[in-house]
Amino acid sequence: MTTASIDVERGVDWGSLLRRYGWTTGVWLLLIALIAFYASTIPSFGSFQIASIAKNSLPLVYLAIAQAVIVVAGGIDLAVGSMLIFSNAVAAQLMDGQSLGVSLMVAILVILMAAAINGGVGWIIYVSKVPDIVVTLATLFIIAGFALIVLPSPGGGTSEGFRAIFTGSTSGTGSNFWPALVMMFVPMLAAARWMKRSRTGLSLYATGSDATAAYLSGVSTLRAKVVSYGVGGAFAALGGLASLAITGSGESRFATASNFTLRSVAAIVLGGVALTGGVGSVVGAAAAGIVLFVLSPVLSAMGVDPNTAQVIQGALIVLVMMVAGVVELRRERAE
Amino acid sequence: MTATPLLDATAIAKSFGTVVALRSASLRVEPGEIHALLGANGAGKSTLVKILSGVHRPDSGEIMVHGEEYEVRTPRVAGEAGLGTVFQDPALIPDLTVRENLRLTDLSPDEVGTWLEHMDLRSVDFDSLIRDLPLPTLRLLDLARVLTRGPSLLMLDEITAALTADQAEQVFKVMNEWKDRGNSVLFITHRLGEVMRMCDRATVLRDGRDVEVCIPREVGEGGLVEAMLGEVVKATPEGSAPVERLTEAPIALEAIDLSSSDKVRGVSFQLRAGEVLGVAALEGQGQDRLFEILSGSRRPDGGQMRLADGEVLDARSPYDAVRKGVVLVPSDRLQALLPKRPIRENLTTPLYNRIGKWFGLAGDEKTRVDSAVERLSIDIRAGKQAGRLSGGNQQKVVVGRWLASGFRVLLCFDPTRGIDVKTKQQIYELLRELADDGAAVLLYTSELAEIPLVCDRALVMYDGELVDELPAEDATEQALLTAAHGISEEVA
Repeated sequence: MTTASIDVERGVDWGSLLRRYGWTTGVWLLLIALIAFYASTIPSFGSFQIASIAKNSLPLVYLAIAQAVIVVAGGIDLAVGSMLIFSNAVAAQLMDGQSLGVSLMVAILVILMAAAINGGVGWIIYVSKVPDIVVTLATLFIIAGFALIVLPSPGGGTSEGFRAIFTGSTSGTGSNFWPALVMMFVPMLAAARWMKRSRTGLSLYATGSDATAAYLSGVSTLRAKVVSYGVGGAFAALGGLASLAITGSGESRFATASNFTLRSVAAIVLGGVALTGGVGSVVGAAAAGIVLFVLSPVLSAMGVDPNTAQVIQGALIVLVMMVAGVVELRRERAE
Repeated sequence: MTATPLLDATAIAKSFGTVVALRSASLRVEPGEIHALLGANGAGKSTLVKILSGVHRPDSGEIMVHGEEYEVRTPRVAGEAGLGTVFQDPALIPDLTVRENLRLTDLSPDEVGTWLEHMDLRSVDFDSLIRDLPLPTLRLLDLARVLTRGPSLLMLDEITAALTADQAEQVFKVMNEWKDRGNSVLFITHRLGEVMRMCDRATVLRDGRDVEVCIPREVGEGGLVEAMLGEVVKATPEGSAPVERLTEAPIALEAIDLSSSDKVRGVSFQLRAGEVLGVAALEGQGQDRLFEILSGSRRPDGGQMRLADGEVLDARSPYDAVRKGVVLVPSDRLQALLPKRPIRENLTTPLYNRIGKWFGLAGDEKTRVDSAVERLSIDIRAGKQAGRLSGGNQQKVVVGRWLASGFRVLLCFDPTRGIDVKTKQQIYELLRELADDGAAVLLYTSELAEIPLVCDRALVMYDGELVDELPAEDATEQALLTAAHGISEEVA
């Protein structure tokens, strides 16, 4: 503490900013590089491809945000994939043949329902003191089961207007990429701002970072748990609605649920969210969700065999983690 | 003192499982006073503070604030009642910035900044992460945050332990100002010089009870130490090895100028075969770090360790240290044991490295374990799982597994914490016996009274340095405590 009484006013500390947001920035740069590379490998790259990437990555982006909110607060939810197919199934049954207005009402109800159910799961975890991973492993099966009960075989539908909200066209395919981008960025930035600016959002970081210190500061750790799971459930429901809008009908296969869950965990890890809680942002997780989605078309454009592509996806995650580990180690050495 | 006391806690009791932290402690703080809460390690000071701040709920007892009965359920409720606490570990979130921490607790950065400036701490960047800030800054930041809430009783749990002298001065200044405003301060510290200088009254806790309320300036430091210790434990005659043997015995472990950030600073000592060398220190003087280094858990920033015959010990992990015969008995027994596995298996853990043949255990396995069990009189019928044993028996298993594997240097870090008197005695006899058989034992204990009973020599550690060395006959509890408080160095 020889530095007491230096300058009071100081400029922006770029070093510390880069350190805090370095990972998020890095993932977005990786995404941009991937898309640029993709654009150079295929004969024509234009608004159609942008729209395609934007809308088709929506479900995973929402799910990555859902998982990020929960993991930042110190939990983990293996059932986000189930919540996605459950919301998808309920919405497909209720929206089938309805007008846009009714579809929107249903959408809001589905989101609220998912938030309430998942908030309840968070409450159970807190009160029972059973580890998050155990409780949500159980709800992974339970909620997926309810999805099958609601929609035993693929079917149902939605209104054309509703499809256009997420995809930019009533048929689900087209070149208008703005709606998909808006649906991606508005919820993402809203969630990011809420997490970092509101007291409730900060209490999620606090609880995930150091639950004891949070409790001593007067934070309600119960509330943080319930809110994080509730918000996570809402985003998982958004994912279900997005996939309904993309395909135009519902489906509730368990394989979809478990696959989505695993990819949501991969996305947050790649996106810089620490599985131990308290570190990371939904913006990074969302970018990583798009990266994971874009990777398959990029690799197939490069002529990589789809089976090999799986290996490369996994290797990418390990590689990013290792690079981050080395950077962190060097920083600690330097200090 | 006829006015209503600001805080009146009566007969507070609290147990954690089978461990009794507070038996019946009462504390009365008047408005406008600085009140010291004193006691040896484990006397219950921190528990009492945590109860008053709503972290723990008392099992029994009554708390009155401003003459009204008061149930402190959570830290938030305590804050609303005007009880503000700076805990031993800062209650700041490591992964958030200073600004975000303040927003989390709904405090204005400007007001907190004003307090920091008042304490002459101007260099805090509110946009830096808490985990990047040094501990003293966090302490003062936590204090500024609590002051911003304007508590009528400010509770400071060992706040000066991590502060430099000039930073401590700033805290004292604030304490006096707080008192002049008609508020009160409850001050916990191990530094008696600070108590003499700052405090109007003192309550002394011992073994979970309040044993004395006094005015420090009247009783003096000696009086405070006496009250903290209570009756002197009767020394057993058996014990110390003949002094002349020590100088002849070969060196088993030598530390040369060890250092680790500012926790351990230039520590050198020689530990000879056949002796029990005691380390006396108050909490947080760097002894944890020293034992981490010696046991191979952490590499020192500087200095060297040597074994017998001058062989350099450069341990990268406890595995390396254990292979060289340097083994650790930690205070947290469950850290060393596999609580869910059988006792026998726990005893053989260190032998796993020897299963080079991979087919079953080495031939002498059973004999080694049996002799360890017998020697320590471990009650192996007590349970299939080591975790179900009593604390004393668990600790015996920890020592026993090193007996089974063999060692040359035994590092014991507070091995008798939370163990009953009889088992304590057995463990001490065992340490003596091991030393008489030629082992070298380095023993840190938080109970200073034990040192003259077991040790041949005692080192005193204060603020990361070895400040004193006493032969067993001079290492009375009083002498150790005086040295451990760094009193000879205290200016005040």
